[in-house]
Amino acid sequence: MTAAVERPAATRHRPSTFALKQVMAITGVVFVAFTFIHMYGNLKVYWGRQALDGYATWLREVGYPLLPYKSVLWALRITLLVSLVAHVWAAVALWLRGRAARGKHRRRAMPRSMAWGARTMLPGGVWILIFVVVHLLDLTVGLIVAPESWAAQGPDGLIPAYDNLVASFSRPLMAAYYTFTMFVIAFHIWHGWRTLLQDWGITGRRIRVVWATIGALIALAIVLGNAAIPLLVLTGVIA
Amino acid sequence: MRVEIEVWRQDSPEADGRFETHVVEDATPEMSLLELLDRLNDQLAEGGVEPIQFESDCREGACGACGVTVNDTPHGPVPQTPSCRQHLRAFGPGRGGSPNLDSGSSASANLDLGSLLKLRIEPLRSAAFPVVRDLVVDRSSLDRLIQAGGHVDVTTGTAPDADDLLIGHDDAELALDFAACIGCGACVAACPNGAAHLFAGAKLAHLALLPHGKLERTRRAGAVVDQLDGEFGPCSSYGECVEVCPAGIPLTAVAAVHREKLRAAFRR
Ligand code: HEM
Ligand code: SF4
Ligand code: FES
Repeated sequence: MTAAVERPAATRHRPSTFALKQVMAITGVVFVAFTFIHMYGNLKVYWGRQALDGYATWLREVGYPLLPYKSVLWALRITLLVSLVAHVWAAVALWLRGRAARGKHRRRAMPRSMAWGARTMLPGGVWILIFVVVHLLDLTVGLIVAPESWAAQGPDGLIPAYDNLVASFSRPLMAAYYTFTMFVIAFHIWHGWRTLLQDWGITGRRIRVVWATIGALIALAIVLGNAAIPLLVLTGVIA
Repeated sequence: MRVEIEVWRQDSPEADGRFETHVVEDATPEMSLLELLDRLNDQLAEGGVEPIQFESDCREGACGACGVTVNDTPHGPVPQTPSCRQHLRAFGPGRGGSPNLDSGSSASANLDLGSLLKLRIEPLRSAAFPVVRDLVVDRSSLDRLIQAGGHVDVTTGTAPDADDLLIGHDDAELALDFAACIGCGACVAACPNGAAHLFAGAKLAHLALLPHGKLERTRRAGAVVDQLDGEFGPCSSYGECVEVCPAGIPLTAVAAVHREKLRAAFRR
């Protein structure tokens, strides 16, 4: 190995790449936990209108009267927002560092490469980011993309989550968009979870297999639990 | 056998490179990639043209000196095999030629004599590996990683008795597996992020398993991760490094980088 070329002294990044990867990993796990619990809550839809509306209403009341109304909900929302900003910021910073480090000559993907999980992380992440905005406008605040019959509160004082959901998913394009996005999220989790092995230095052979399997199962559960809902609305099973 | 070679020419580190196309008419399936380049260089020399510069030493997969990118794959189309051990008989016909994975003699069945083989040969690509000339790159960024922490720097006294320090069989085997890295740098060139985690992790995992290496484990982890940060990219678990590594270093070496770093962080 020749040393014919003078290289500038190594430039340390701030924050370090190691720190950014930990930010990515921790916020990623926050999202996985959220997505899983959110999916679990969504399962109430299979028990009918009361179950889902009651759940949505409970989310606002939980902790009351010990804590102010909606305080737990807002605490969760703020945690998620902070995580989202950190996750996206770290993702972009890492991507830029990777670009710079690989240099200006780009190979095509290797023919046998199994790296398509990693390749889809950034585009998939951007897709999810857009979805988060659409989803909130659609079913949480009811602006712009919401169905006409969207309501913030029903006459009974409950959150009419069920009717809002059915109204939204009765639009085939919207239903397809939600369903497809669930696959994107599952894919993101599937590879993200495997990346955690490297981020957190898990080297044991058996635990690596177990860990990867858990990630795949979480991803599968999110697809099965969530993606079915728009399809069942479209086919009239949930109405 | 006729082989069409598109090869990278670059006169100096500062110069713009370019691809040049040459044809070797009398290649044989037994030739390795490097022998093909030797043959081409003979041809160029006969024509009074500067030969193509490339690196090699042992030509038996032991030293790590060789390494070129062939049809977009570092080292060449045969997985986990250094350029010097890649033989034409194992290549499928056509550009990007889906390699015939068993490199035995039966593989030449799909290579009729006279069939056209197209190879695009360029240097190992990474910002950490500036081109010196043609196919020769400067891999001293890997040396700097080793200088930062890929060594054992303790006073061990006079040579100890053979069985003074016992190392369990499994640990010894595992350490040897990680020590198999030949320092070729293909993992860095394969990585879409230009990361050197496979190389660095192999060294960290190897030294963390052995009694003398353990003495500096904490300091080493910090120094190596710092150096990685300075000259290489982040790891996003593409796993392409593992596919090209001629030493068969597994992805657990990559995990060992953060295992060592996290361990060091909690020991401060
Ligand atoms: C909102 C937009 C999002 C963007 C732009 C995004 C982007 C990314 C990118 C680029 C990575 C790869 C980082 C790397 O290894 O270089 C990643 C990792 C990850 N993401 Fe996301 N993501 C988003 C949302 C989510 C969501 C909703 C979840 C969970 C449901 C999630 C879970 C994860 C996990 C677990 C990882 C692995 C952690 C790691 O890389 O260390 N992400 N994300
Ligand atoms: S880890 Fe493998 S590919 Fe990387 S330098 Fe060592 S032998 Fe070469
Ligand atoms: S020339 Fe020594 S490994 Fe290829």
